[in-house]
Amino acid sequence: MVRHLNSSTGPVPETASTDSPQDEGPSPISPATVRELHENAPAADAAKPPVIEFRNVTKTYGDGYTAIENITFHVDDVAGKGEFVTLLGPSGCGKSTILRLIAGLTPQHPATSGEVLIVGKPVAGPGPDRGMVFQDYIAFDNRSVLDNVAFGLECQGVGTDERYERARKVIAQVGLNADRDAYKYPHQLSGGMRQRVAIAGTLILRPKIILMDEPFGALDPATRYRMQDLIVNLWRDLEATVFFVTHSVEEAVYLGDRTMIFSPGPGRLLQQLEVPPPDRPAKSMQREPGFLEVVYAIKDMVDKLESPLAKD
Amino acid sequence: MASSTRSIFALRAAPSPVIGRLIGVLSVAALILVWYLITLGAAESRVVSPAILPTPLEVGRRLLTLITGGSDAEGSTLALNIAASLKRVISGFFLAFIVGVPLGIIAGVSGPVRAALAPHALFMRNIPLAALIPLTMVSFGIDEQQKTMFIFLAVAPFLMGDAMVAIVRVPDKYVETAQTRGASTFQIITKVLIPLAMPAIYSSMRTLFGLAVGYIMLAELVNADLGLGHMLLVGQRRSDLPTIFATLVVIATLAFFVDKLLQLLQGKIFPYRPAED
Repeated sequence: MVRHLNSSTGPVPETASTDSPQDEGPSPISPATVRELHENAPAADAAKPPVIEFRNVTKTYGDGYTAIENITFHVDDVAGKGEFVTLLGPSGCGKSTILRLIAGLTPQHPATSGEVLIVGKPVAGPGPDRGMVFQDYIAFDNRSVLDNVAFGLECQGVGTDERYERARKVIAQVGLNADRDAYKYPHQLSGGMRQRVAIAGTLILRPKIILMDEPFGALDPATRYRMQDLIVNLWRDLEATVFFVTHSVEEAVYLGDRTMIFSPGPGRLLQQLEVPPPDRPAKSMQREPGFLEVVYAIKDMVDKLESPLAKD
Repeated sequence: MASSTRSIFALRAAPSPVIGRLIGVLSVAALILVWYLITLGAAESRVVSPAILPTPLEVGRRLLTLITGGSDAEGSTLALNIAASLKRVISGFFLAFIVGVPLGIIAGVSGPVRAALAPHALFMRNIPLAALIPLTMVSFGIDEQQKTMFIFLAVAPFLMGDAMVAIVRVPDKYVETAQTRGASTFQIITKVLIPLAMPAIYSSMRTLFGLAVGYIMLAELVNADLGLGHMLLVGQRRSDLPTIFATLVVIATLAFFVDKLLQLLQGKIFPYRPAED
């Protein structure tokens, strides 16, 4: 039914990875291409610790509320390539808690029990190696686009000329005009543009891990597709591991190499799925019948996993 | 379409700027007309006795004399009196600024400092303004220093409190974004919290400066030989009602223009956040 999608979509779209090594045209996508990952498999290389590893992590707050319970997963460190992990689940399932534990942000950090390891070392607090992009497009109101993007370098004491030069490059990378937009203030920008500024401010530091907490949740659908394409293109030459929280199954399946599905109250990791990579533009790929079948299959799976009858 | 034909009496609708201004002018004219009518005629036949209310014409004439540089009974011009009052406000306010704002920022940044300062701030804010007059007179005499300290004590606790609140209200997400970009605690304070709190601190300063311009009259009722408050006192001593009324008009107008000036500066200092009225 969906076997010959690549031939039916006509010519390969221009954003379909001109620089991707395994560029043999888009592969067909169907529920059969989704594979379940199991956490009992040991890390591929014992000498090389995983980029991110959660070992039986539980977070309970002072008032007794448990946000996440016994979460275990790892993301291997593959040389020259980062994994794009999307986190999916209803509100209150602890997706943001996991992101903030990785980032080392209070009050989620530190975990009540279990270990959160980044390249083998426990998280001590926030740092520039783990960039974070929030939903509400955080750009410093008092700084121009240029100074917003250069903020991290400024904190490191990088000289004005060098940090502006690097900031201009990143501003262009995220699809803003380095000449026209660089001196604008955040209040003069649209939501999508502000989010590009926030992404640029993180990218300029070349973090090993990028954490994105529903970054496109408040954008209109057309802008959202454009931003998804942007992320896919940026990520290709970034070599960073991305953790991306979303409410949208379509977004999770499109962007992710791996999708983690969580259930609420308290947050538990239900399943990890390997999903097809985004090798076509967001708008066209997310309309393909094969893609939609995968989305529906995951939606059904989530419904089943969440229904009270399925619980033990 | 519906909005263009909307009646100006529509619920909660704001009239157009021109109509709005016109209504404002008419309203003032109506007040002056009523004032004129109740002070019309010979002193004995007026609705309101001249011992209570002068005629608008008398007040207008006095105002004109004051503005055109005529000196008052003591030989001081209006400009000199305004300058004297503003000088006292500015010196006291400046002192309140250099003490109150840094303290407020430290209290906003640090929870323990906030907890330590809270009872003092609460105490200071609840002292009635008028009670500061005898207090400052005992401690600082009855000259210029006392008037400066009066404004300082009246303003500083509020300025500190507002600066503290402004820092506390900067959303966590800004701090967290800075942290994940490698900013140190000191950098977060100087590069994120203070710049983002400044517009709110400035707004508070604007309001407090306007209040201080009003407060100084209270201090000038005691041992001042210049100042708008002193003008009021002289008017009262001589039962010179037109001078008192004219001075009140001057005070209100001055306060209005000072606020407009501060608002204009706000737009210049903080171009990234449009000044609110």
